[in-house]
Amino acid sequence: MTPTPALIALSGVTRTFPGAGGGFTALADVSLTIRPGAFAAVVGPSGSGKSTLLGILSGIDRPTRGAVQVGDTAVHALTEREITAWRGRAVGVVFQFFQLLPTLTAAENVMLPMDFCRTWPVAERRARAQVLLDRLGVADQADKFPTTLSGGQQQRVAIARALANEPAVLLADEPTGNLDSRTAAAILELFAELSRAGQTVVMVTHEPSAIQLASQTIALVDGRVAAGAEGPHA
Amino acid sequence: MPSPRWRKVLRDVWHHKARTLLVVLAIAIGIVGAGAVLNTWSLLRRVTSEGYLATNPASATLRTDSIDTALLEQVRAMPGIEAAEARRTVVGAAMTQGSWRTAILFAADDFSAARIGRIAAESGQWPPAEGMLTIERSSLEFSGAGLGDAVPVRVGDGPETPLRVSGVARDAGLAPGWMEHVVYGFISPATLARLGLPATLNQLLITVADRSQDRESVRTTAYRVKVLVESTGRTVSDVDVPEPGEHVHAAQINSLLYTQGAFGVLALLLSGFLVINLMAAMLTGQVREIGVMKTLGARPGQLAGMYLVLAFVLGLVACLIALPVAARLGHWYADFSASLLNFDTTGFRIPLWSLAVQLAVGTLLPVAAAAVPVIRGCRVPVSEALRDFGITGQGGAPGRILSRVGGPSRPLLLSLRNAFRRRQRMALTLVTLALGGAVYLGALNLRASIRNSVGYLFDDLLRYDMSIQLAAPHAADSLEAAALAVEGVEGAEAWVGKRAAVLRSDGVLGNAFPVGGIPSGSKMVAFPLDSGRWLGAGGANELVVNRRLLQDEPGLRLGGTVTLMLGGRPTQWTVVGVVASMPSASAFATREALGQAVADLRAGQLVVTAARSGEDAESQLIRRVREELAGAGFDVASAQLMAESRRVMEDHLLMVAGFLLLMSQAMIVVGGLGLASTMSLSVLERTREIGVLRAIGARHRAILAMVQIEGLVIALASWALAIPMSIPMSVVLGKAFGRIMLPVRIESLVPEPSGVGLWLVVVVVVSLVACAGPGIRATRITTAAALSYE
Repeated sequence: MTPTPALIALSGVTRTFPGAGGGFTALADVSLTIRPGAFAAVVGPSGSGKSTLLGILSGIDRPTRGAVQVGDTAVHALTEREITAWRGRAVGVVFQFFQLLPTLTAAENVMLPMDFCRTWPVAERRARAQVLLDRLGVADQADKFPTTLSGGQQQRVAIARALANEPAVLLADEPTGNLDSRTAAAILELFAELSRAGQTVVMVTHEPSAIQLASQTIALVDGRVAAGAEGPHA
Repeated sequence: MPSPRWRKVLRDVWHHKARTLLVVLAIAIGIVGAGAVLNTWSLLRRVTSEGYLATNPASATLRTDSIDTALLEQVRAMPGIEAAEARRTVVGAAMTQGSWRTAILFAADDFSAARIGRIAAESGQWPPAEGMLTIERSSLEFSGAGLGDAVPVRVGDGPETPLRVSGVARDAGLAPGWMEHVVYGFISPATLARLGLPATLNQLLITVADRSQDRESVRTTAYRVKVLVESTGRTVSDVDVPEPGEHVHAAQINSLLYTQGAFGVLALLLSGFLVINLMAAMLTGQVREIGVMKTLGARPGQLAGMYLVLAFVLGLVACLIALPVAARLGHWYADFSASLLNFDTTGFRIPLWSLAVQLAVGTLLPVAAAAVPVIRGCRVPVSEALRDFGITGQGGAPGRILSRVGGPSRPLLLSLRNAFRRRQRMALTLVTLALGGAVYLGALNLRASIRNSVGYLFDDLLRYDMSIQLAAPHAADSLEAAALAVEGVEGAEAWVGKRAAVLRSDGVLGNAFPVGGIPSGSKMVAFPLDSGRWLGAGGANELVVNRRLLQDEPGLRLGGTVTLMLGGRPTQWTVVGVVASMPSASAFATREALGQAVADLRAGQLVVTAARSGEDAESQLIRRVREELAGAGFDVASAQLMAESRRVMEDHLLMVAGFLLLMSQAMIVVGGLGLASTMSLSVLERTREIGVLRAIGARHRAILAMVQIEGLVIALASWALAIPMSIPMSVVLGKAFGRIMLPVRIESLVPEPSGVGLWLVVVVVVSLVACAGPGIRATRITTAAALSYE
């Protein structure tokens, strides 16, 4: 069996933040690979560099040193403008606090990335948003504003929004951190389902149940990979 | 259906209705202020230049004996002459509202056919028929006469003749009647005869063919006409050549326009500051959402586009509100200013370019104001935008200094430091409010200066209480004796009034100006001397000229001699002094010298001081003086209380200061809006901090006080800053106004304590009102909501 080529490959990624006393190293020489369709859980104690890793994967943050390869793109070599364009199409981000735009309805929130990246014909955007919301079980909330939705519903809409442009990678930063345990379980199951359907998911999490569902668990300690740098061969 | 991002823009606007409204209001106020001024300016400029030139003003006016058709034909046939017409101007008195007022009557064969100095009929009959009087509009209100009234008119010792007011007309070439205290009227030559005057015309109005000629070349042409007229055996008593194409009040008009223009620019500047503040506020609330949108793939250009188009649209909406208001205000104020200058705005429209400028500024100003914060906001790295928890500044240097202050209580200290946390925003707010205050103080100062100057003119320079024009000249001694015999008269002087012109070395006559012949030791006038000395005693031919005459006649100099044409005879005079008096050219000589020069020692004017002041006492006195003089055989043509002249002058001048005050109040409102927006923003940014304060036990009152005190800190700083800023404002206003109306004496550059006190009250009230909303909003923040604020 030939190993599937990695979708995400980090090699020697270091991220330091300048500050008093020589600065702070959030990631130190991190190298790892994630295969397509993987469900990767990034775990570790507070301050271990989980969110920094996610930021670097999404192109929101840039490594001080090292290379980030996502698919065919060398993300670390892109200009700010290129990163923006790339991120919009290649990466979907799900936040802990949902971050839905309060003055747009659920469907409009989902349509927004298509609007920015001009990925779908204008006439089809609404239908696609509806399909995504349906897939996430919130089709009936399409025309409601975020403030009228429950936390779980908001997170489902946020996931639908992250999937709008068919990104290669879905990145989630503690997506269940702000939800009750039952809703959290349902959301985790949703991610697992997406992963089974072929969607690559990278998730920062504290949930033990997430680790059980994950196909690869990357453990970070003090900015270094303690375990799981390479996922199981598919 | 617009795309989601535009829907977001629209719903954000709707969601933050109050702030959106504030932005629109701020732009609208700025555009209304600046637009009204621009409209006034452009309209007035058009009205005054086109309106004046439309009258086809005379290039020169010659005063001679009777003019007939043959002479007119001869003059018209001269090379370089375009047209020639004849008029007669007589000075008499008209009785309106129970008192005689100076009347200047113009007669022509057919006013409606006049091509030079065209007069516009306004209402009633035109031209006036025999026995009828058409009143010039600027003296209508002042005279109190109305259409159909019979107004008794008398010229010299001619019969008192009632003339019926049959119409109203406007002569844009005349200084306004209310300002000159003169009833201007138009009559026919036949009416002249009824008044006991020759029914002939004696003023020759000419226009030169080449309108590009300067004043001196026109004067040369006019002099050739004079030679021609004299060759027919007539005498020419004076030749008047005005500055070609320039209205008598051109300098005043320009000063008025520029003062207003400066105010307009200031208003716009202030509104620009406010818009910058508000746009920054809008973006501050959007930083996190901008971060989210960037994560979703929004490019900086797309984001900037969203907010800049929004700014443009808000500007457009503001313009829709502001432009009509500005147009109406501009028209209204142009009407008022035009009437001050005796122009009519009817039929004139605000130039399109003025409206276009307002629209362009109104839409682009918010875009420009938004550009900096928008670009900065769109450049914030996503990671930073998503971490946005509010502000982190500690108050900078002022904050550090304040931290060493031990005295104030903790909450007060917090307010003080908070005020200095966003220094750029605070500076903008402060300057906006302070500029408004400086203009306010400047306008208050100007108002005080106008009162002072008018007071100075009437109390210190003109020391008499009433002026009486006699129907015929009489011996000065007997006039004075008769006046002094009236009970309640404290002092009286008989004056001689003549018109003179400088006879230049090349034989050309300068413009005619009045020469006042006053007793050598006169106590009734005290003009401050610029140079030289006042008139000496006795009958020496000494002349004191005013500044304006010195400017008009370049041949005049202190200590030099000058030949004056007086009553058709050339006489030699020595210029012994220069005074600063009225804005128009005039000179003074002793009564004796002037009388000898014209071989007539009689006086035609009496000036009187009353023993008891007070308008009632003076009105009674003026009636008694009239009656008793008439009883003694001295018929009075007109009599004027100086208090009345003073009031009329003050009223009109103060209207201009009133307009400036109104403008400054609008600026203070803009400043108040700025403060309100700054404080709203400050509360919004510190939601978390306020939550923490609540968590550690801050009560409603403490939170409210914190916001109010922070506002007051900014307000008081503006108050203090406005005081030095008002000094240049006062100087500029005083100078501009001096050129417009009369030399304004600025008593002191430092604003009056009462003005400074008033400004303090205003700024404190503005601050309390502006901070009320943000303060209440701050008290509504709950600890839980604030700490979960994301």
